[in-house]
Amino acid sequence: MSEQPSLWWIDLRLSRAPFVREMIGRFLFFCLLGVAFLSLILSGGGSRFLADRYAITAVLRAEVPAAEAEGLVRKVAALPPVRSAAYTDPEAAWKEFLRAYPGLDSLRGAGGNPMPGYIEIRIRPERLTGADVALVASALRSVSHVERVLAGEEWLPRLLRAGRVASRACWGIFGVFLAAFFLVGRLQERARAVALAGDFAFLAERGVSIGRLAFFRAAGAAVSGFFLAAAGTAAGGGALFLLLGRFPSLEGVIGPPSDLLLPRTVAAAVLFSLGAALLSAAASLLGGRAAGSGRK
Amino acid sequence: MIRRILFALLAAAVSLCVLSPTAAPAARDTASDLRKERGRLLEMKEREEKTALELTEALRKEKRSKGRVGELQERLKSQRNLLLRIDRKISALNERLERAEKAVRELEAAHGHARTGLRRAEVVAFTGQRAGAGDPWSPSARERERHFMRLYLAADAEGVARITLARERKEEELSGIERQVAVTEKTMAREKKVGDTLLSRQEEERRRLADIEREKKRKEKELKSLRAKIARMESVVSRVERQVKERERRARKGAVGGSAAREPSEAPRRFTSLSGGLSAPLAGKVVTRFGRQHDTTFDVTIENRGVEIEAASAASVKSVGEGEVAFAGAVSGFGNVLIVQHGGGLFSVYGRLEAFLVKQGEGVKKGTAVGRLPGSPSGKSVLYLELRAGGTAIDPASVIPLER
Repeated sequence: MSEQPSLWWIDLRLSRAPFVREMIGRFLFFCLLGVAFLSLILSGGGSRFLADRYAITAVLRAEVPAAEAEGLVRKVAALPPVRSAAYTDPEAAWKEFLRAYPGLDSLRGAGGNPMPGYIEIRIRPERLTGADVALVASALRSVSHVERVLAGEEWLPRLLRAGRVASRACWGIFGVFLAAFFLVGRLQERARAVALAGDFAFLAERGVSIGRLAFFRAAGAAVSGFFLAAAGTAAGGGALFLLLGRFPSLEGVIGPPSDLLLPRTVAAAVLFSLGAALLSAAASLLGGRAAGSGRK
Repeated sequence: MIRRILFALLAAAVSLCVLSPTAAPAARDTASDLRKERGRLLEMKEREEKTALELTEALRKEKRSKGRVGELQERLKSQRNLLLRIDRKISALNERLERAEKAVRELEAAHGHARTGLRRAEVVAFTGQRAGAGDPWSPSARERERHFMRLYLAADAEGVARITLARERKEEELSGIERQVAVTEKTMAREKKVGDTLLSRQEEERRRLADIEREKKRKEKELKSLRAKIARMESVVSRVERQVKERERRARKGAVGGSAAREPSEAPRRFTSLSGGLSAPLAGKVVTRFGRQHDTTFDVTIENRGVEIEAASAASVKSVGEGEVAFAGAVSGFGNVLIVQHGGGLFSVYGRLEAFLVKQGEGVKKGTAVGRLPGSPSGKSVLYLELRAGGTAIDPASVIPLER
């Protein structure tokens, strides 16, 4: 009976020290990529930032009592695209206005408070689109208590376009980093294949097929890549969690730390790890083939 | 009264002269004395009449003056009431004026304040002088602030417009009140002037009244003195009359076949049976009647002893009957007076003559021209005619056909 030897982790068994060094390096890289990935996932590119900056203001009529305004707030908050809605009474609106323009406070006695109450509606980052904003704005305009809806129709399309561009840029940069990871991984795999070419030739002479060897090398790279990516993402998530706790202002851009534990975030991290595993396997195959053909 | 005494004396003297030719010298002396007495009495009578007239005039003036003073006091009272009302109105207007002025001042201050604030707000809005730089990444907040700034500016502009309108209205009201005050003050000044005039007139009337009262007192004193003199004179005349009667009685005793017709006590009853009756002394109209004439206005009664006949100036005066001129001379108050004795105790007296056409003691027929009235630019003159019978004045119009 001809028993086939196990080829799992052949690289580790043939070249332990360089392999461990490469794995550590990949782990650190995945930590960075994990932070970037989670940040992009949580922020939605620039969507969270824009959603945090953008609000629809429903200016109420002067005679609307606070109780009715609060009722309207509850109804508005129930709309799917709406993340939050808050009522500001006329007095608070006046104070807010005076905080912005403190030089005008002396005029209060001349004619009373000219400011009306208003409702500030914030949209969910993922629903910050022209259609959803128009939906909410039209719903507010149909309410008799609302005198005017300030939804920034003039400048919102530009803002959304800028947000999309920024989001794509962020994801593009992230993609560049992934590509860099792939290229570096391929080079490392090729270099190791070259370094272990004698050993591989010896195995081939003993009846181990090149394809089976390449498969097990790629499978090992994929498994290591998955776990390294998962570990790096987890470590990066932890670092991000600490960072957001330390710098709350970043929440407006990235999101709250609690969102890191949301299932969708975890699922995204798993997908990211799987992606990293595929990239690692591809880099191993391509690197080994390049080493065999003598190409770089 | 004096006139009656006078003519009684005169009649007695004439009777003595006519009926007692044997005692002519003594009678002439008596007549002379009587004439003197008559002159004195006439003078006294004239003075009394003058005094009575002056007193009447003084009483009339006093009454008129008192009436004027009363009227002035009423007018002054209503004038003072009017002034009080005007004063109250002016006070109310002044209060309204002060309130309006205060409101205008407040509105002007508010207007200035609002204008300043609006300009400041406009500058702030124009230059975007927000406190701090604001959040450039919050376009929604900026949009809301801009909207609120527009609301603020609109409210301010509305406030300024409201204050401007209110100020204009207040100013209009103020000018209206000022005009009203001016008109009222003008009215008040005019009414005060009227009041002052009334006061001065009242003072003048009071002074005049005081003068009249002084004059009245003086005249009353004078009248009292005159009446006392007349009373004394009447007693003297009565005494003389008694003496004349005594002489007549003695003369009758000495006379043969005394005529009953010359009995003085019977004379008044027979004068109407004179031959041919009596005729009018001239053609004219009676302007002053005989007897007591009561003045209702001044509540004064004047007793006329004769009548006054208005006739053409310079007209001749004829004797009303046959007789003898008993007296022709000047009497104070009546000018030239002619007395004709017709017998039977009847005498006719013609006063206010300019000239005599007969002499004393001369016999006259009925219709004989005895005198002439004075000439007058108006063409009218007045004759005083008096008839006396037995010492008593009778109404000439009752025995002579006179035009009334």
